[in-house]
Amino acid sequence: MNVIFAAVFLAAAVIFLFTDPEGFLPAMLAGGEKAATVSLALLASYCVWLGFFKVMEQSGLSEKLARGMYPAARRLFGSDDRQAVSLACQNLAANMLGLPGAPTPPGIAATKKFLAARNDYAADMLFVLNATSLQLLPTTVIALRAAAGSASPADIFLPTLLATLLSTLLGALLVFLTRRRT
Amino acid sequence: MKYAALIIPLLFLALFIWALVRRVKLYDCFTEGVKGAVPLILSLFPYLVCVLILSELFEASGLSARLTQGLSPVFSFLGIPPEIGKLVLLKPFSGSGATALLSELLSEYGADSYIARCACVAYGSSETVFYICAVYFAGSKKRLFKPVAIALAANFVSLILGCSLCRIL
Repeated sequence: MNVIFAAVFLAAAVIFLFTDPEGFLPAMLAGGEKAATVSLALLASYCVWLGFFKVMEQSGLSEKLARGMYPAARRLFGSDDRQAVSLACQNLAANMLGLPGAPTPPGIAATKKFLAARNDYAADMLFVLNATSLQLLPTTVIALRAAAGSASPADIFLPTLLATLLSTLLGALLVFLTRRRT
Repeated sequence: MKYAALIIPLLFLALFIWALVRRVKLYDCFTEGVKGAVPLILSLFPYLVCVLILSELFEASGLSARLTQGLSPVFSFLGIPPEIGKLVLLKPFSGSGATALLSELLSEYGADSYIARCACVAYGSSETVFYICAVYFAGSKKRLFKPVAIALAANFVSLILGCSLCRIL
């Protein structure tokens, strides 16, 4: 992140210097403003989903879900930390259903636990699974296509699903192949 | 596709009924969960700011336009329409920016055109890698090069596949 931040920042600053020196600060401020509005939107969705997950936890549903997915998920993440694996499962399930904002809280909690246990492999795996898109139904895309007057907005479903499956499998495979053996 | 909208209300309904059967005090429990939301967003805030400033600079400076232009021979060599290059470059930084760009492309080229379909696949099969990275690894001192590189590479390869699938499907 440090390298990317520095590279993009420097390149953008140099371009601004030559093309539009007065536009530099407004662009940065626009970024900050966006961060403020995005944070509010995220706060709203975290409120809803954290409440949801708490009810799930206290009603014993998380435990049930985790028991079902634990054997497979334990292998996938190479972790015996039951709570962390259960959080990771909640994250993956929310991702597949495409619930906006819902995967993040359990995802962050699971990553923290994995990293605290020095299990970088599991943290990387969870991140790559998240960052290669697991969503089964591209609802945003379909809605946008329908709005733009497409004849059959949903016919994008199959190629998207195949592409996203490939990216997820490839990502998981690469993480698996490049893990540090302990 | 109408049924997709049912997922969320049904999910909540099922959970709440289940919780009531298990005699969970819904109000107390839900509020208990919400308590965590403000600390969570506070811990993410600095990282969000950095990523969003970065995405703004990337766009507003014209850097993304220049990169798109420079890379367009590469894109067309790989079977990716150069028109969607900007979307491909922007998506890792910003989801909302990519959404806006996608709807622009849809109205410019027509929702059922090949370019628009490729754009949809590019959008739907990738994720906001840098954004997720900033949020999930917020505050960790871990080296992030490997996971980020893997995620970007996997998304890119699947994009090439997606664009060729759009030709035949």
